[in-house]
Amino acid sequence: MAVELSPKMQAFTQEVFPAIIGTNRKDGSVEIVPVWFEYKDGSFWINGGTNRGWFKHLQRDPRITLLLIDPKEMFRWAQVGGRMVNWAEDPGGDHINHLSHRYLGRDYQNPRTGRIKIQIEPLRINGSIDGWR
Amino acid sequence: MAGAKTAKALNPAVQKLAALPILIVVATKRADGSVQLNPVWFELKDGFIWLNSNTNRTWPKNLQRDRDVTMLLVDPKTPDRYAQIHGRLVSLIPDPKAEFIDRLSHRYTGKKFRELEPGEHRVTLKIQPVTVTGQMV
Repeated sequence: MAVELSPKMQAFTQEVFPAIIGTNRKDGSVEIVPVWFEYKDGSFWINGGTNRGWFKHLQRDPRITLLLIDPKEMFRWAQVGGRMVNWAEDPGGDHINHLSHRYLGRDYQNPRTGRIKIQIEPLRINGSIDGWR
Repeated sequence: MAGAKTAKALNPAVQKLAALPILIVVATKRADGSVQLNPVWFELKDGFIWLNSNTNRTWPKNLQRDRDVTMLLVDPKTPDRYAQIHGRLVSLIPDPKAEFIDRLSHRYTGKKFRELEPGEHRVTLKIQPVTVTGQMV
């Protein structure tokens, strides 16, 4: 069951910093990378190329952990345990362009082809934003 | 990890980032295989990454089970510059007098660490970097 974000968490997700995502590699190790994200309509949304390692991992094991952390004040953080529930092509790169505006305030400069958007359902949340749990 | 560099010595850009009082994100695996991410204090010294924790915390338990850890350093000024460091736990060193956590506390806060809570046991985790990937390599 997806969890609903508290008002504090919802406000935190509107701040502009990348999410650090952790996925499981086939060999059992963990990959962590920063990615652009947005929280909208109860889900987290990220965007990538189909050749990205983390997307391949998610197709095999849909579990994903997101760390939202303020890079300037790193004691402000939340860990979101979730699951990829859906992914779809991003025709014309509309979604990556939308994220580019959120992060950079301008159109996406790189090729907008071959991109996908991924929907992540939050299942559990902890960290310092809602208080330690 | 094809193409990853063996981290005999972390490159100067990564060393420079590691010298800042930023937190390192530690990724471990829970018993059910899901990924746990924790931002923690660290120090890079003598080619090893040194962490410290309370023995009751989940992430050091995960780390002891797997001995495998992935860590991420992110440039606070340019968050798309990062280094992903894959490492192995080489030793677990009890820190009964809280000497190492005091050292880390000075690095981050300029002060001694708080008084330990009753029943709190600190432990230092020594990690050998194995590979480094990311936008700073």
